Amino acid sequence: MEPKKEKPPVVQKELWVENRLGLHARPVAKIIALAQQFDGTTVTLEKDGSKASARDMLSILALDCPQGTRLVLKAVGPQAREAATVISGLFARKFGEP
Amino acid sequence: MIQKNRILQGIAASPGIVLGPAQVLSPREGGAQVSARLLYSPQEVAAEQERFRLAVEQTAEELKRLKQEIPRELQEHSHILDLHLIILRDPMLLKETLRLIQEQNLNAERALYQAFQKIKELFQRIGDLYIQGRVQDVEEVYRRLMGQLTGRGSRGLLGLSRPAIVVARDLSPAETTQMSASQVLGFITERGGKTSHTAIIAHSLEIPAVVGLDNATLEIVSGEEIIVDGLTGLVILNPDEGMRRTYAARREEFGEFKAQLAQGCGLPAATSDGHPIRVLANIELPEEVGLAQKYGADGVGLYRTEFLYLRQRSLPTEEELFEDYRKVVAAMAPAPVTIRTLDIGGDKFLSPLAYPQEMNPAVGLRAIRFSLKEQKIFRTQLKAILRASAFGEVRVMFPLISSLRELQEGRRLLEEVEGELQREGRSFDPGLTVGAMIEVPAAVTLAGLLAQQADFFSIGTNDLIQYALAIDRVNKQVADMYQPLHPAVMRMVQQVVEAGREAGISVAMCGEMAGEPLYIPVLLGLGVEELSMNALAIPLVKRLIRLISLGEAQEMAQQALARTTVEEVNEFVNREMDSRFAEIFRFAHSLANHPGI
Repeated sequence: MEPKKEKPPVVQKELWVENRLGLHARPVAKIIALAQQFDGTTVTLEKDGSKASARDMLSILALDCPQGTRLVLKAVGPQAREAATVISGLFARKFGEP
Repeated sequence: MIQKNRILQGIAASPGIVLGPAQVLSPREGGAQVSARLLYSPQEVAAEQERFRLAVEQTAEELKRLKQEIPRELQEHSHILDLHLIILRDPMLLKETLRLIQEQNLNAERALYQAFQKIKELFQRIGDLYIQGRVQDVEEVYRRLMGQLTGRGSRGLLGLSRPAIVVARDLSPAETTQMSASQVLGFITERGGKTSHTAIIAHSLEIPAVVGLDNATLEIVSGEEIIVDGLTGLVILNPDEGMRRTYAARREEFGEFKAQLAQGCGLPAATSDGHPIRVLANIELPEEVGLAQKYGADGVGLYRTEFLYLRQRSLPTEEELFEDYRKVVAAMAPAPVTIRTLDIGGDKFLSPLAYPQEMNPAVGLRAIRFSLKEQKIFRTQLKAILRASAFGEVRVMFPLISSLRELQEGRRLLEEVEGELQREGRSFDPGLTVGAMIEVPAAVTLAGLLAQQADFFSIGTNDLIQYALAIDRVNKQVADMYQPLHPAVMRMVQQVVEAGREAGISVAMCGEMAGEPLYIPVLLGLGVEELSMNALAIPLVKRLIRLISLGEAQEMAQQALARTTVEEVNEFVNREMDSRFAEIFRFAHSLANHPGI
């Protein structure tokens, strides 16, 4: 009998874009750098039904997220919780921008 | 015979003057002629994909090399190349091109072209213009990749064999970061404006730049000697001996001028006959305090507080507001900080306040009117301001006061909040001063009455001019009728100053007019004793104040008031300033809009 596979943890979080310039290239580069640290865990950002992988710069830019945008982060995989925590922390710190 | 002294006019983008040989960069490959060809066998497809992957690797190498070669003074901009490395491997570019080669049997160039076109279309649908603008970075990567594929390589900049003035149609961020201050004497581009990337980089390198110079790459020939005047936006081709001498002298003067400004900016300013004038900074964010101090502000004359309300979906809490205010007040102490209460209307809030968009927000429910209607929001802000007053000198002012009642109501609420704070046992400054912003003509007319109940006035010229002259300066049809020296405006300022003087309260000014060197003597002459402005303007304004006596300023103001049309006033003031302050105004006209001097 095959060993029973455990369902990977799933974490969802609501995020708000609060820095003045919105999700432009630099903040996205920071998101990507974090998302890449969690091999085997996929992180997606969703805005009004459109989704983007947290590793893909152009897809995230194309979500069009100016200041004030609400996003839902979804992390699936063994390190879902850690990934969600560090990425939402980045949003909370406004990516170190005004 | 080559014509001497040909003069071209562009936009001044980074101040300074330089003479040197031009180096014209040829226009880049356009996307127009991309070779297209179909592939016929799986082997061909595999080979084409391999060729593309190789180009990606080569481009990555190129970007990494460029990053290492960035001169130290531009290290802060190296993130642009990291960004390009990320884009290079983005699925929309990489995977999509490989897919198009595979599924549509396209050659690599054509596949890449189509992938890029798709990204471009996608970005065109982005509403936020700043984010949309990032497509330039994708284009930059696309060009490099295409250069590798076609074997032509990317345009080399760095072929500068000797120091030169770089002339280009436009310069990409990546290209500008590769330039070293020692090799590049100046920049000239056909595209771009005052805030373009080239301008910003030129500023950090402190080298002159002129942008928006049409046909620069056609008019200027590599190797010819040119002068770049980043103060006026002029470029002079083949200057003769006389012109060279003129500009060499001008360059030297500018150097001295800059040194002089820097010297006195930290000290308080007084007119040449000893009347102290307070020069303060306008700020919006706590982080801007550093800038205010760097440029020698004697305090903050206008702290705009809208930002926290515009930024977040929920209304800011008392604690959040307090934290921001305290930071500013403590950092500036003992210098005063004038906090303006909310100056927006309900339609601007991100939070779910159910206010409809207004047809005409300039005369709608905003500023003190809004605050008095939404008292809960207002009280929270007043409480935070009062609490911050325990950490330094705080002054509070109400925007858009148009009646005595508004000022009284505002004061009454402030007192109530003081009572609450006392009961909570929190400390605050019981002597906190309360000012009225004078920016509605009705308030000017009532200035005598308002002065009885205000601790100070601050004239907000942007709105006052707009309401007094009934001019919307964003409307291009009438924008040139927005005239700070309009006889009506000058008389209003005079009236407010007199009312303040009679009641013994101070009169400050905090609109853009207060930071414009051209207007300073007239304002001093009218009796304004406190000027608040963009921090960058402070050194120049302080210098100007020290060069004129109050008597001279009053004389100028009288003469200006004696003229009956704004055209005459402008003509008089310009002439007078140019002759009195030749040394400053030969630079000041062009510096007024320059950041970072």
